[in-house]
Parts: sequence; structure tokens; C-alpha cells
Amino acid sequence: MSRLAAFRGIRLVAMRELVERVRSRAFLFSTLLLAGLAVVVALIPLGVRLFDRATISRIAVVSAEPGLAAYAAGTLDQYLNVRLEAGGSTRQFTFQTATDEVAARNEVLAGHFSAAISLVRTPAHGLDFRVYSSGGLGTDRAQLLQVGAFAVGILDWTASQPSTISPFVQPAFEVLDASTGGASGAGAMVAVDAADYAGRRIVGIVLVVLSFLTLVFYGMWVASGVVAEKTSRVMELLISAATAQDLVIGKIVGIGIAGLVQVLFVLAPALIALIGSGAIGDAMLGPGSGASASLSALSPTLLGAFLVYFVLGFALYAALYAAAASLLSRAEDLQIIALPLSIPAVAGYFPAVLALSGGSAWFIRVASFVPFWSPFVMLSRIAVGRAEPWEVAVSMLLLVVTVPVVTLLAIRVYRAGVLMYGQPPTLRLYWRAIRGG
Amino acid sequence: MRPVPALPLCSCRMSLVIDHLSKRFGAVKALDDLTFEVAPGQVFGFLGANGAGKTTTMRIAVGVLEADAGQITWEGRPSTELPRSTWGYLPEERGLYPRMQVLDQLVFFAQLHGVAPDRARREANAWLRRFRAEDLATRKAEQLSKGNQQKIQFIAAVLHEPPVLLMDEPFTGLDPVNVMLLREAFLELRDRGRTVVFSTHQMEVAEALCEAVAIVDRGRMVVGGSIRDVRRSTGRRQVRISVAGDHRLPWLANVPGTRVIQAGMDRTAVELDEGVEPDAVLAAAIAAGARVLHFELADPSLEQVFIDHVGRPADEEVHLAPDAADVEAVA
Repeated sequence: MSRLAAFRGIRLVAMRELVERVRSRAFLFSTLLLAGLAVVVALIPLGVRLFDRATISRIAVVSAEPGLAAYAAGTLDQYLNVRLEAGGSTRQFTFQTATDEVAARNEVLAGHFSAAISLVRTPAHGLDFRVYSSGGLGTDRAQLLQVGAFAVGILDWTASQPSTISPFVQPAFEVLDASTGGASGAGAMVAVDAADYAGRRIVGIVLVVLSFLTLVFYGMWVASGVVAEKTSRVMELLISAATAQDLVIGKIVGIGIAGLVQVLFVLAPALIALIGSGAIGDAMLGPGSGASASLSALSPTLLGAFLVYFVLGFALYAALYAAAASLLSRAEDLQIIALPLSIPAVAGYFPAVLALSGGSAWFIRVASFVPFWSPFVMLSRIAVGRAEPWEVAVSMLLLVVTVPVVTLLAIRVYRAGVLMYGQPPTLRLYWRAIRGG
Repeated sequence: MRPVPALPLCSCRMSLVIDHLSKRFGAVKALDDLTFEVAPGQVFGFLGANGAGKTTTMRIAVGVLEADAGQITWEGRPSTELPRSTWGYLPEERGLYPRMQVLDQLVFFAQLHGVAPDRARREANAWLRRFRAEDLATRKAEQLSKGNQQKIQFIAAVLHEPPVLLMDEPFTGLDPVNVMLLREAFLELRDRGRTVVFSTHQMEVAEALCEAVAIVDRGRMVVGGSIRDVRRSTGRRQVRISVAGDHRLPWLANVPGTRVIQAGMDRTAVELDEGVEPDAVLAAAIAAGARVLHFELADPSLEQVFIDHVGRPADEEVHLAPDAADVEAVA
């Protein structure tokens, strides 16, 4: 019976929170605002491509075979930079030969080149194009390079006839990450198609920013809800009708569902904009503009991971916010706790951003397992395709274990804190509440 | 200080027992071995000045606070094992959800106590009607006057039909009409078999409404029992006398151990020390040639009993100072 009663309490508290929240004007306005923002973010790739037409990508060309690099650079320049009749040109690339592949790749990493092309002649007299990029090469540019590579391959083959009687081999074309590509690098060389990679990054950024904002934002909903119950003095009536456990869990669940509803309302128009941007891009930039690539990066797996991390991450942060707010007496005091509470989230945000740009340093790997950070960092690694399934499983498991522990502590603090009035929220007070609760 | 009369704890297991309850907040002793008993089906007054420990006792009963020692039992079961719906609690800290409609709040709180929503709605409407407040049902709490909010909170406390009502200063802040409505509600709930415990520092309210009271001071039991016993607990008696002629009763000076405590045109209340017989007053009046129109024996008012026991009126604020030993222990 008591178990049923506990669920009844949680359900009722959650329902009240959900209904009051969703009905409120603030909810409507923040949903509209965030949805608008998400649509803008979703359209950014399209805007970048439109803007990108006016920029010039510097490409280094390296080859061990004497003359091949210069030959390829000249051919690519001729084919890819269309000269206009008026004498001007829509110059999109400059090609420059380099002598050392490693040096060229470092230049790419340093940002001096958008990409470095390493040309290798295969035994079958074909050409192997390896394009090293660190994300500085847009989707459409990568596709243009592939077209150029085909042209170089054909010309090279024609020039070699008839001295070598061999059939034409379509040049191999691969875009590699400049930092990890190459046999000497630690870990497996991950070949990511540039278009795909750019799309993944955009989607990853959108999801990570969304997670970060919403966790902190909805966490503050929980905190302000707790403080409001204290300042309106309804708390005593409430705590005599329901247990601290019902109130804390009910609040987290109710506001969590309200938040999830909002996230879905924010994501839906953004998805539509993403789909639309493919069509718009094709219309403005010609077919195969690559603008729709972002959408393909938003795989069901990634969306599912996002939802799981959102739910678990929210539960974790919401419990913290509920506990912290339970010791406050006035709404103004929320300002005092807002900053320290956002620190764990901010600390997780930075490794997440680094992970999105392809970083895989040890601290990023570690951060992606820490429960308060994994909702951002592991999500980033999943988004850019740099997470093993077991890593994802372990990070989720750690979250699943941490959430109830933190929630129990939060309930202790809450029980001790809700009837405390007039004391400034000091760390000592929280410690006493945890110990004494 | 006068010896504290021990409360006879009746053996009936059906009652509400405050059993050697102690509670400390840091260096301050809020409750100090507080013990008394409330018979079921009674309206019981829990009397004391602000800071006497009334709110702390009620909070321990409803499970909001934990006692350091002792317990509260209802029908033999300790409060820590009882479901929360045992109690109908009106906290001294009044508060409702400001933006929520009155009826929605009432149904919400009743549901928390396990009442089905339909039934909660029906009962809430019935209570609103009897408090002449049907029009408040769809209003938001923040739009209500303090008195009306208090009525809504009272309804929230009783909707789930709890066997015991714990009302913390329920009459404070109500206008006379609402005081009357609330008193009627108390009596009706008692007639339906509920036990009603309310705290107050207004003695006249307790006198008019309670069958039994407990007077507490600084967390300690001072005196308790039926109103009649408590009023007689000081051992002093009063006579109320009415005479034709000089109302100042100058002849009273001839009777040692008497003093006028309330002079009036109609009746004058005279307090007698222990051992002074009322007959002596009557005899002195006749001897002085006064024409006695009215003469009655009366018990002192609860207010006077309170002052007698506690040493000051109940509406005087108490500041609980930590005693010296406690301060040292903390430092």
C-alpha cells in the first residue's frame, strides 16, 4: 500500500507541475523563442555555404613522384577555377605544391591550408588522392575536389598512353582527418567523408548546445519552483500531505516531462528547416550542393542517444537544483546558487566542444564518462562518430547508477531544508542538511 | 514556581498522547519533556504564548520534524508509523499556490491524501458553500483576501476527513463572522467524531470552545485537563457581586485576602486567596449595610489562570534564550 501511495504522490506532484508549467505564459514564450533559435541554427549550414562561395580554399598538393604534384596542382586550378569572359574569375581554390606530406598536414592543422592533397601512384598506374582536412574544407568544396581529381586522373592516364598499356583506373579519393590520419597515428585511422563530417559537426553542435541550455534552464525551473513553494509558504501544507521523496521526484519528473515537451516542440521545426534547407540549397547552389548532408547526420541512433542523455542528465541536474533551492528563503537567493550550479555543466561543455572538433585527448575521453559531463561529451563523440558502443553503454550505466544516489542525497537536503527560513545558503548549511537529514 | 499538577494519563488507547516529547534547535530547547493527552472526540485547546512550543509539537505530529526524544501516538500507534492522512493540519505558516485556482488546489491536496478526484471536487464545493465562498472556486489564490485564503487552507486540511485535526492558530486574522463559521465547523466536526486540537494564545476563544486544554510555557507542560479543572487549578476562587449603591465596595477592605480584579457597574469580580471563605465577603457586605443584588461563586477565567501559572499574559512574546550551559556546549 505504501508503495502505491508513494507512486500516487509522485504522480500527483508531477502532474501538477506539468500542467501548471505547460499552461504558463512563460512556457509558451520560451518555446517560441527556442524554436526560432533552433530554426536559425538549423539554417546556418546553408548560410555558410552561400557565404562560402566567396571564400578561397588554399590547398597544398604533395607527391613523392617528381612533377606529379605540380602537374596535378595546375590541372586542378584550370578545372576548378572557372574563368569568366569579363576577365575576372570565380576563384574558389588556390593550389600550391609542397614537398613534405607531414609538414603539409601540420600546416593544415595550423590553419594555413584548408586541406592537403597527398598524391600516390598505385601499382596499377592509377592515382590515389588522400585529402587531409581538419574540418576547414566544406562539403561542397570536397565534392568539387573529387571532380577535379577525376579530371587529373583522366589526363594522367591519357598522357601515359600508349607507353603503359593499362586500363583507366578511377582515382581513389578519400578525405582524412589531418590530426589522426596516417599510419603512425595512435588509434585506428578513421576515414570520414568530409561532407558527412561537416554535417555531423553541425548536428552535434546543435544537440550539445541544446542539451547544455536545457539542462541548466530546466534545472533553474526546478530550483525556482522549490523556492516559490517556500516563499508562498505553501511548503508546510505540502510537506504535511506528501513525503519529501514524492515532492522531489514528482517535481523532477513533472518539470522533466514539461522540458521534454518543449524540446520536441523546439526540435520539430528545426528538423523541418533542415529538410527544407536541402531543397533550398539545391535551388540556390545547384544540385548536389550538399546542404542536406546535415540531415543524414541526424541518425536515429544519435537522436536516441540524445534523448537518453537528456533524460538522465536532467534527472541528475534537477536533483542538484532541487536540493540547492530547498535551503533558500527568498527568490533573490536563486542568483546566489545559479552560478555555482552551472559550473559543472560549463566544465562539461568545453570538452564537448573539443570532442566535436575531432579531439580525442585523454581528458576528453575521461570527461565523456563522468556522469555530470557525459550528457554533453559522450553525445559529442557519438555525433562525430568517435565513440565505441561499449563506451556509450558504460557512460549511460554510470549515469543510471549516479542518478538515484544524487536524488537520495537531494531528498535528504530537501527534507531538512524546506522548513528552514532566513539562513543564508552556505556550504556548511548544506553539509549539515546532508548529514542530519 | 507552583508545583506542576501531574496529568492523569487515562488508559484509553484510543486517545492522542503527547508522550515525553523533547526537541532542541541548536542551543534552544523548544520542547522539554512535554506530556499531555487528548481524549478522542474532543475539542482541545493547546494554549501558550508565541514560542511556547505549540507549532513544534504539531510539526512533529505531522512528520515535518523529528523529535529528539519521546513520541506522539494516536490510538496507540506512534506518529512516525501513521499515514499522513491521519492528520488534518492547518499550519501557522499560511500559504497556497498563488497562481493556481482554488478548487484545483483543494482537489490536489485531497488527492495527495488519497481522496478520489470526483469526491474531492464534490466535498470541496460543499465546504466552499458552507463557508459562503462558492464564488472563490475558480479564483486564483493570489486574488483572495487573507481571511479567505485561511478558509481555503482550512478546507484543504479537512477534505480528506482526517480523524485528528491539528490547527495552528486557526482564528488569528479572521473577522468575527468567519470566526463564528469556523467555530461552528469545529463543533460539527467534533460531533462527527473527529478530534480537534487547536493552538491559540487567545484564552477567551479556548474558554468558549474547548472541553479540555493544556497550557504550555517554554516547551513545558504547565497545567492541563478539563476546562473546569484547569480553572480551579490555582486554588483561588472568585465571587461576583452586585450591590445597590457604591460599586467600589469600600467595605471589602475589612476582609483580608480579597481584592477586586474587575470592577464594574453591573458585577464586580473579587478574587479570594486560598482559605478565604466566600461567606466572609457576603457577611462583610451585609455588615456594612450594602444591599446585595447578586452574589455568585465563580472560577477564575482562563486568562487569569494562565497569568497565575505562567507569570505573564499569553499574548506577550516569549524569547527563548539558550541557557548558559547550552551556550557553552555550543561554543
